[in-house]
Amino acid sequence: MEQTPLILDSHLDLAFSALQINRDLTLPATSVRVLDSVETQQSYGSCTVTLPELRRGRVGILCGTVMSRLDPDDLSTRTGMYSQLQCHGVGRGHLAYYQALERAGHLRILRTRSELDDVADLWQRLENGPDSADQAGGPPLGLILTMESADPILGPDQVPEWHALGLRMVSLSHYGTSTYSHGTATDGGLLPPARPLLQALQAAGILVDVTHLTDQAHWELMDIYNGPVCASHHNCRALTPGQRQLSDDMIRSIAERDGVIGTSFDSWMLDPGWQRGLSAGEQQSEATLRTVVDHIDHIAQLTGTSRHCGIGTDLDGGFGTEQAPRDLNTIADLPHLVPLLAERGFSRQDISGIFSGNWLRLLGQHWLDTL
Amino acid sequence: MAASEPVLIVDGHLDLAFNAIHHRRDLTQCVQVLREREDVYRDGVGASAVHPDALRKKPRSGGMGIATVALPELRAGHVGIVLATIMARVQMPTSFLSDGMRTQAAAHAIGQSHLHYYKALERAGEIDFLRTAHDLENAIGAWSPTSAKASADPAPSVGIVLSMESADPILGPDDVQAWYDAGLRSVSLTHFGSNTWGHGTGTKGGLYPCAYPLLDALRAAGVALDVSHAADLAFWQLLDYWDGPIHASHCMCRALVPGQRHLSDDMIKAVAERGGVIGMVMAEPMLNPDINFDDLSTAPAVSTRPMAAVADHIEHICALTGSNSHVAIGSDLDGGFGREWAPVDCDTVADLQKLPDLLERRGLGGADVAAITHGNLLSFLRRVLV
Repeated sequence: MEQTPLILDSHLDLAFSALQINRDLTLPATSVRVLDSVETQQSYGSCTVTLPELRRGRVGILCGTVMSRLDPDDLSTRTGMYSQLQCHGVGRGHLAYYQALERAGHLRILRTRSELDDVADLWQRLENGPDSADQAGGPPLGLILTMESADPILGPDQVPEWHALGLRMVSLSHYGTSTYSHGTATDGGLLPPARPLLQALQAAGILVDVTHLTDQAHWELMDIYNGPVCASHHNCRALTPGQRQLSDDMIRSIAERDGVIGTSFDSWMLDPGWQRGLSAGEQQSEATLRTVVDHIDHIAQLTGTSRHCGIGTDLDGGFGTEQAPRDLNTIADLPHLVPLLAERGFSRQDISGIFSGNWLRLLGQHWLDTL
Repeated sequence: MAASEPVLIVDGHLDLAFNAIHHRRDLTQCVQVLREREDVYRDGVGASAVHPDALRKKPRSGGMGIATVALPELRAGHVGIVLATIMARVQMPTSFLSDGMRTQAAAHAIGQSHLHYYKALERAGEIDFLRTAHDLENAIGAWSPTSAKASADPAPSVGIVLSMESADPILGPDDVQAWYDAGLRSVSLTHFGSNTWGHGTGTKGGLYPCAYPLLDALRAAGVALDVSHAADLAFWQLLDYWDGPIHASHCMCRALVPGQRHLSDDMIKAVAERGGVIGMVMAEPMLNPDINFDDLSTAPAVSTRPMAAVADHIEHICALTGSNSHVAIGSDLDGGFGREWAPVDCDTVADLQKLPDLLERRGLGGADVAAITHGNLLSFLRRVLV
């Protein structure tokens, strides 16, 4: 049996899951499911991502988000805030959670290229075997600090501080309208504070993530900002209609900057038949891991290469097993993608790139070796 | 008596950041705006037309009441210096206490979110951290009745001394210095339930062995000990071991209201012997003798007592200790309850400014009133902030 390549997941809301959903992420997912209250499971679904599940799935490196946004009308999770000061507080709490996990030896926060390379090497050299990653003394989980919606950044002058804390990737918006831009489910473009923020992010070497921008904001950003871009968790509008997905032109615009697009495992972004308004537990979704491969393949066909394809599952990002590909139980099942990609004609080298190589290339290009 | 100048009120216990982060209240807005925003009104769950003042129609939900505390009201009431908490604890979440966290790492992170909310407020010019004796004297000066700033519009910013309710956010003795450097000057080891360090309200037991090295580190750093929410055995173990500054930021008298949450006469004497101060709480279950705090199902849906009900406790403590120097204010307004359990004549935290007059009407002298509303806590803080 061939070894599963290292997987880098470019979007996981781990701190939100631990702090706002209130889960102990050091437990197996099955234990978390038992401990979650009925209300929690109804709101957020069945747990799919914990640290032991990541290790079992050889997801050795992950982008862990700071996630708090302005959104007074967020009546579903009631975590959207009224002021940026609150977002900043919540965001720093997310960082502190990752730091506490690092202190306890559960993961390493990766801040330099050599730290990134070291952890990638340890995973890539891992002996083949179903459980070796899960054993004590296995390679450390590497966490890249990212931010979904830039509201926790109180101004461009605070960007260097966030960089020093480890922040390496930022999306300007999320659902609704942030301080900096219109986002998913709104109409409009960038807001005036976006330009100085983008300049500060570029100066600090922080990647700009275009996920959750409106179409107008996407094109305005491409117009006023000439630095590197990526899409941490984004699917293809050609396969799943809707503003939340990238049009073919948008995909090309990211590829032209040599960016990477992480394919998301959220079923409403995979299944055109998803019924908004019907709860995840009542859907009979058609989306499977093969559907995920359809989106990866679409990007590869469109750009003529697999170098812009990545994995950005967003698993447990406000949903659980019920709203994930129906043949996925936990994130430990990601290696099941290997034969599905191979039967679609992706080479061993392509698969290794999609799983982590493409992201490592992009991040390596823009990170400094010193802080 | 003629209307007098407003006096500085020092409040020894307010969970400001908890309200901003957990209940998503933007504390820079006035209380009325917060009330209009409360989820319970926005929901339209059969109650969309209910006015915020219609207390009886409001079910209590998850320890949230109707907002009474915001920064404009603190300034308007000259509540100019506040011990503002970091509040997160390890406890199995329940429907009554939904804010317990499952791991200490998570409690630490929530605590850090509180700290950084305060820092963001400071950056925005809304509050000042008081970390040193110099900071404290500046804040006292700004709020003194003779200061032009105190009566100016806008009023001076609120000075906060960082405190912590339940020490779960401190990851270990080696984490104490970082919290001290951030401004932490008072810590209670426990809160509800039993946590990382020992037994708290609603449980029976003492400190866990790991509490002692933590106490050593707190003492060495110069942090004061708050004995509020300690279980009885834990209380006496704390007093046996600790030789530094001590206070009970928000506690009442067990002789007057039943329940483990309150201080027995022996406890009050012990706190006073150490020069400690006891903060009077503005909450129905702490003031109504018919409510046993050990069984809050005995509590009425709305409050029945006025603010002056604290006078009974003040008189009890003064008589017991033979002194007026051990009583202060620790209102705890919006500390897991809201308008419905605040005293009937306390609509917002600004109403604490009525206390001097109310206490004088109850027969307390002017010197006593000044000591209780600010003097005693300021003396305590002068010992702690160096």
